[in-house]
Amino acid sequence: MATTLEPESPRKATPLQVAKAVLSAFIGIRRRAAHEHDAVTLSPVQVIVAGVIAAAILVLSLVMLVRTITS
Amino acid sequence: MEAAHAHHGHGDHAHHPYGIMRWITTTNHKDIGTLYLVFSLTMFFIGGLLAMGIRLELLEPGMQFWRPEFFNQLTSMHGLIMVFGAIMPAFVGFANWQVPMMIGAPDMAFARMNNWSFWLLPVGATLLVASFFVPGGATAAGWTIYAPLSTQMGPGMDLAIFALHIMGASSIMGSINIITTILNMRAPGMTLMKMPLFVWTWLITAYLLIAVMPVLAGAVTMLLTDRHFGTNFFNAAGGGDPVLFQHVFWFFGHPEVYIMILPGFGIVSQVVPTFSRKPLFGYSSMVYATASIAILSFIVWAHHMFTVGMPAVAQLFFMYATMLIAVPTGVKVFNWIATMWKGSLTFETPMLFACGFIFVFSMGGFTGLVLAITPVDIQLQDTYYVVAHFHYVLVAGSLFALFAGVYFWIPKWTGHMYDELLGKWHFWLSMIFFNITFFPMHFTGLAGLPRRVPDYNMQFADFNFISSIGSFGFGLSQLILVYVVVKCIRGAGEKVSDKVWEGAHGLEWTLPSPPPYHTFETPPVVK
Repeated sequence: MATTLEPESPRKATPLQVAKAVLSAFIGIRRRAAHEHDAVTLSPVQVIVAGVIAAAILVLSLVMLVRTITS
Repeated sequence: MEAAHAHHGHGDHAHHPYGIMRWITTTNHKDIGTLYLVFSLTMFFIGGLLAMGIRLELLEPGMQFWRPEFFNQLTSMHGLIMVFGAIMPAFVGFANWQVPMMIGAPDMAFARMNNWSFWLLPVGATLLVASFFVPGGATAAGWTIYAPLSTQMGPGMDLAIFALHIMGASSIMGSINIITTILNMRAPGMTLMKMPLFVWTWLITAYLLIAVMPVLAGAVTMLLTDRHFGTNFFNAAGGGDPVLFQHVFWFFGHPEVYIMILPGFGIVSQVVPTFSRKPLFGYSSMVYATASIAILSFIVWAHHMFTVGMPAVAQLFFMYATMLIAVPTGVKVFNWIATMWKGSLTFETPMLFACGFIFVFSMGGFTGLVLAITPVDIQLQDTYYVVAHFHYVLVAGSLFALFAGVYFWIPKWTGHMYDELLGKWHFWLSMIFFNITFFPMHFTGLAGLPRRVPDYNMQFADFNFISSIGSFGFGLSQLILVYVVVKCIRGAGEKVSDKVWEGAHGLEWTLPSPPPYHTFETPPVVK
């Protein structure tokens, strides 16, 4: 299977790195070098978990924003 | 994957039935891709015929041709057939043809399921089309089949519900197949971040499909039990709530919009770099933006239903969330233009359609932003402004991207170059007639012309006349596509080389044109 043929991850990404990658994804902008670094250090599980958390944070912050405006 | 290798390992490539049985029993991704594309082209013309019926009635004020009930059937079935019969299967057809060739896989992961997911579609389509001939005719509740209209109609509605079930099952199986193929069957060295963008967009689209098609299935099943088994999910008299249907439907419906456009983004992202002779600007941004659009698509559904009433907090939430989508979409449009910037550009037909896509889709995106503003939307809900908006994103967006893809890859698929002159005619006539048809709808919509109504006030007569003439022109222009495609398949065009386009990159261009029946039985190595 192709996944086993990918280069071994040099090391696991820290939560901060995962957060940075996912936040860039939310805007849709990422530098090539940073992205290539992500590609070897991030695992899909990390990205999915961080993506769900970030989506929840986005929803909550939007809710807080609209509550502040309407109150 | 082992099974696929073992099956193809016999070496004799000609071992498949001939004639009609070849197509019925095929498990070959190229054959199934062709079936999907032929099916969707057929449905495109059936849906187009219904559109012609709509525009014929709207050519002049007053009732000319149809009864109002039949007019409603035309609008509803036009939407259902175009969304579920034409656009979605066309993209799956592209995925079948291209994904294995682009990632260096010998076939799709589940070849037999692939056959099954295609052959469900003609069954669903037959149910849909046959519903015109049952008592009461086809569903006339709009493509959104809102309750309580949809809980009251005749058997045509049941046929539409079953058709949606079947086509939904087909989409889910197709998506499982695409995801498994992409994640498990890439050639050595083809890491995720080396995949062509078309493959990326399909991977994300397939996840969207798996997430939302069961939601639609749930909604229409609740509708079915409300109609026949005494439940009251959507019946206010029985304690249910028709607004619930709208929420559930649009929780499916909004990601569905992105399901219909993301693979189009993928095709355009293959075409633009090829004819700019430059690599795609911001490849990783494109991947990230696609993922971002997919995530955001789940938190904006209620912008389709601002007028049904919701708290101001909810209105603001959905308005802001919807506007946020402009950011990643803007990134994509920026990247396509940056790819073209200082490129060595040529404008063959695929590039013309890609440029047309970028221009006209952006206009549809902007009207989407206008409609995202709650107070504006409340004025424009169910007017022709909305009809103009979604045809700008679905016709000039999805359909033009599909046309770009057809012209881009048909020389590879058939081994013969299409007729460039006719291709250019097809583009220009489509582009001009599309705008003649749909641009005036912005004006009629702003002036308050409601959609899904067969008659209108005299003040709208001129713009409707223009729209109708444009639509007949657009419909007729599509015959050029059929002629060009048939000509290519019959081998009339000049023979093409493996790498059809000078600026093309990717594994599919290393294969002969047309590619042999089985390709990449020995996986290529990607550096």
